[in-house]
Amino acid sequence: MTFLIRQTLIYAVPLMIVALAGVFAERSGIINLALEGIMIFGAFIGVLFVNIVQDAGTFAPAKDANNWLALQGFAMLAMLVAAVAGAIFSLLLSFASVNLKADQTIGGTALNLMAPALVLFFIRIIANQNILNMSGGDAPSWFMLRKSYFGYGRTDNMGFMGETFINQTYPATYVCIVLFVILSVILYKTRFGLRLRSCGENPQASDSLGINVYKMRYAGTTISGALAGMGGFVYALTTANCSSNGDVAGFGFLALAVMIFGNWKPLNIAGAALLFGLFKCIAASYTSIDINGDGICMLTQIPVSAHVYRMLPYVITLVVLAFTSKKSRAPKAEGIPYDKSQR
Amino acid sequence: MKKLFAMLLALAMMVSLFACSSNNPGGDSSQSPSQDTEESTAPSEAGEENTTPVDVTDPNAIDDNPTTADGKYEIAMITDVGDLKDKSFNEGTWNGVKLYAAANNKTYKYYRPANGNEATDDDRYDAYINAINAGAKVIVAPGFLQAGAMRKAAAEHPEVNFVFIDGFPLTERDSEDDPGEVLANVAGIAFQEEQCGYLAGYAIVKEGFTKLGFSGGGGGDNPACCRYGYGYVQGANAAAAEMGVNVEMRYSWQYGSNFSASPDLQSMMQGWYTSGTEIVFACGGSMFSSISAAAAANDGYVVGVDVDQSSQSDTVVTSAMKGLEQSVNFGLDKHFDGQWADVGGTGTSLGAKDDAVGLPTATWSLENFSIEEYETLLAGIKDGSVSVDSDYSNLEQSYSNVALTIE
Repeated sequence: MTFLIRQTLIYAVPLMIVALAGVFAERSGIINLALEGIMIFGAFIGVLFVNIVQDAGTFAPAKDANNWLALQGFAMLAMLVAAVAGAIFSLLLSFASVNLKADQTIGGTALNLMAPALVLFFIRIIANQNILNMSGGDAPSWFMLRKSYFGYGRTDNMGFMGETFINQTYPATYVCIVLFVILSVILYKTRFGLRLRSCGENPQASDSLGINVYKMRYAGTTISGALAGMGGFVYALTTANCSSNGDVAGFGFLALAVMIFGNWKPLNIAGAALLFGLFKCIAASYTSIDINGDGICMLTQIPVSAHVYRMLPYVITLVVLAFTSKKSRAPKAEGIPYDKSQR
Repeated sequence: MKKLFAMLLALAMMVSLFACSSNNPGGDSSQSPSQDTEESTAPSEAGEENTTPVDVTDPNAIDDNPTTADGKYEIAMITDVGDLKDKSFNEGTWNGVKLYAAANNKTYKYYRPANGNEATDDDRYDAYINAINAGAKVIVAPGFLQAGAMRKAAAEHPEVNFVFIDGFPLTERDSEDDPGEVLANVAGIAFQEEQCGYLAGYAIVKEGFTKLGFSGGGGGDNPACCRYGYGYVQGANAAAAEMGVNVEMRYSWQYGSNFSASPDLQSMMQGWYTSGTEIVFACGGSMFSSISAAAAANDGYVVGVDVDQSSQSDTVVTSAMKGLEQSVNFGLDKHFDGQWADVGGTGTSLGAKDDAVGLPTATWSLENFSIEEYETLLAGIKDGSVSVDSDYSNLEQSYSNVALTIE
């Protein structure tokens, strides 16, 4: 059970935060198809940052001294760098769709095509291969919380809550959850959030009330880019041993699906992401899942092929989308370039 | 407004370019062997650094991307799939190439087939032709998957020699009825991986581990990985029988088909370690990264493969090594000494008798299994008193002391 929750969170959180990134862009009226591309770019810059700082040796003493707070600071810094990179990368999309009034779908697709190519190009130059790893050690021993940090021995039990939510988790996950909550509140409970949402519904009306639609759309897309970049890095950190290879396994597109499935509302999105994360976790490790703790892994007893489990997350997404997409309501003005002269 | 953003974007691109170029390995600071050659012929430059023939033992100190003035490179290396710097099979071979080239003042270059981990025979063939066009006289090709492309390239270019690591002699056509002539310019060099797999399995069971795992690359089709795995099971079984204990082993080829790390593999391994597996034999190049990450998260252990991987992670207990650098040296020596006929068109299998397989006794962290015990066992394999079966089609049998679960 502990394992299942821990692993589900690891898959669900990047998805959740990137889906929220999609919400911010779409609620301001810009379709952000480029989530995948921005994730890839953010992951690359984040990993590159970790790699460079490791080489510089800044955090080596902290690592040797097991100073986990400093190491977490390092992880947060890398997340910040990835977020900034994502924000800058997303400016390409905002520029094309706000200033040039280009088709947003095509702009997003262009970024999706460009990001992996660009990233692979740089990785080839830097690492002489198709994958950029940390320059030493592995992600868990650098960035993961372990019970030994809190004075527990190797065989001590921290209790259910401790084992599940503290031991072997990445604080980056919790930072994402906190950010998710804060940003959802901002979107719904603040003046800025209301203005942003209005620009995605009826920009003409917003403009007539003195809101700068262009600015709002830039803000929405930039927040979106920052979140997606950060999500990309968190994905690389927690699931891919902090490496970047120009690929995030389609998580950006899945995040889009989660966003639509979640009806552009944060709470629904969180639920959808958790559902998907759960099935993703089952798919990869169904042979080791022991729900009631009796040492028997039930899923291995069912005589079905491993491929069935691997299809599950995607099949579930398809089925759920088929049932819910009718009810879903996209922001009204999304995808339409704002033109002041139109009424 | 527009101008401002255009400038901002241009700036962003420039910054990212700078950030990357500063990291470019090689660059101007390190010198390529070919430059050394040119400089050492010029007497006036005797005082300069690097003018003497390079005597380097650390492969990481040798440039990965040397350039020559005429753009010609004698030794070419081409990988099949996986990454060059996988810290395992490909990198071990590459280090052999670099060390040989540095010691003998040869020019060398690495060519990666297009499409990375999804490279096809056509992509590899193109890489061969690129290498040959750039002056390659001998091509080092690690990886069993090279056969198809090499058959074509070697038949078309009989003047170029191919050192086929993990390989076997090739015939003109891939057909059992009408194979044609054996290609005399291909030297197949293989290893008896079952022997070092046996050593590793034996050692860790003697050490006291009872819940073992094996995660292999190549999806179960790669002979080298299959031999490693089968030897590992046999070794574990032998040790368990001697000690009178029963061990469990989980055995999987999942998520390993292209020898790369993946989130799915990492989750699967998390599952293994959480549900009690103590040590996993990571038998597949870059897969090591996913497996050691899962091990580090769960205080588990890993057995490395191909080269001594203990420097990469504290989780590595020992590594099943095979003499990659040695085999590259062997092949290249035959080429450059004009003795190619000894190995061309034949298959060479290196094993314990050639000291080409073993465990790294200096860096292992085994405590209950002593170096003396290891030496005795190795000597037993050498003189044949300990027999290790290499026919991995027998993997699924009932073992006396190993409960094998194939996933």
